Amino acid sequence: MTSIETTAAARTTRAAASKGDPDAFEAAVRPHYANLVRRLVLVLGDERDAEDIAQDAYLRAFRSWDRFDGTDVRAWLYTIALRLAFNHLRGRRRWLSAIGRVEPRTWSDPSDPDLWAALGALDARTRSALLLNIVDGYTQAEIGTMLSVPEGTVASWISRGRAALRRDLGRDR
Amino acid sequence: MTEGDEMYDDLDLSTRLAALEMRAPGTAQPPSLPGRRRRGRFAISMAMAPALVLAVVATSAGAAAVVSNLVRGYPGIQNAGQPLAGAHMECMSPPDAAAFLAAHGFTDVDWQIEGGDPNEKINGQDATTSVHQAVPPAHGFVVPGSILDDGSVIMIVDQRVGATGVGDCFGQPMP
Repeated sequence: MTSIETTAAARTTRAAASKGDPDAFEAAVRPHYANLVRRLVLVLGDERDAEDIAQDAYLRAFRSWDRFDGTDVRAWLYTIALRLAFNHLRGRRRWLSAIGRVEPRTWSDPSDPDLWAALGALDARTRSALLLNIVDGYTQAEIGTMLSVPEGTVASWISRGRAALRRDLGRDR
Repeated sequence: MTEGDEMYDDLDLSTRLAALEMRAPGTAQPPSLPGRRRRGRFAISMAMAPALVLAVVATSAGAAAVVSNLVRGYPGIQNAGQPLAGAHMECMSPPDAAAFLAAHGFTDVDWQIEGGDPNEKINGQDATTSVHQAVPPAHGFVVPGSILDDGSVIMIVDQRVGATGVGDCFGQPMP
């Protein structure tokens, strides 16, 4: 078993055996909530928006609990949330464009400002794909399923994202 | 750039991104589910609230100062070209990481231990804790740190509820 397979197995829950049970839902999903909010802060750059999207995703996940296949609850929750986040960003950009303002980024990390700036320069989908791949260890195929894009598109995002981060962090050799 | 360099870069990037995400705010509570009341999660912990609040106040300032120094200006100890490049300490238990560090001459280590439940709030405040000690804790996910100017090493150990580990050891059982 590869490390990725081991990781996937460790993520597996028994949720499929407890459909419709709010306690089972909370037990399976709640432990991922704080990390989901953090991930959304990195994707959206805005703490308040991240909290709103996470809450919406949590409630949508609860309403869809009986349709969850019981395999990887974290990937399933992140999929719901990231799709909501992308929709939110599209709406926000249209609105900001209409009133002639630039995109706000209200959370910033003073400890590693170079990385935060480099990450912020990527578009949200590339940023999400990179985080899912580099931090979480999901494969390009898994990310493609989560973000509803072909695997090749994910490969392209990750490749360009890595190159951009290396360049912006001064690591291009 | 060689394949090896890319591997080390990815490990460094993974560690930095995981640390960045760990610092992002994530204390918001999930909403109450429709048709049910939120459980009284503070029923037991309220008795300990004064002590916990004191602990949070006492540790947060120091933690912020050290975390702010963790990455900026100091390359990760496992980065390419650094003494322990590719060591994969994130897959070790804290005592094993300490032994590994000692075997390579790093005996002056500041262990920063992140604990608590990120989902909990006490009197509206973040209830997670951050403490520093000279000896490694028995358990927790190691987040490899940096070598500071004085030759000491700072290492983070994540013991928080829901902690997942970083890099190759993401999702593995907590050592």
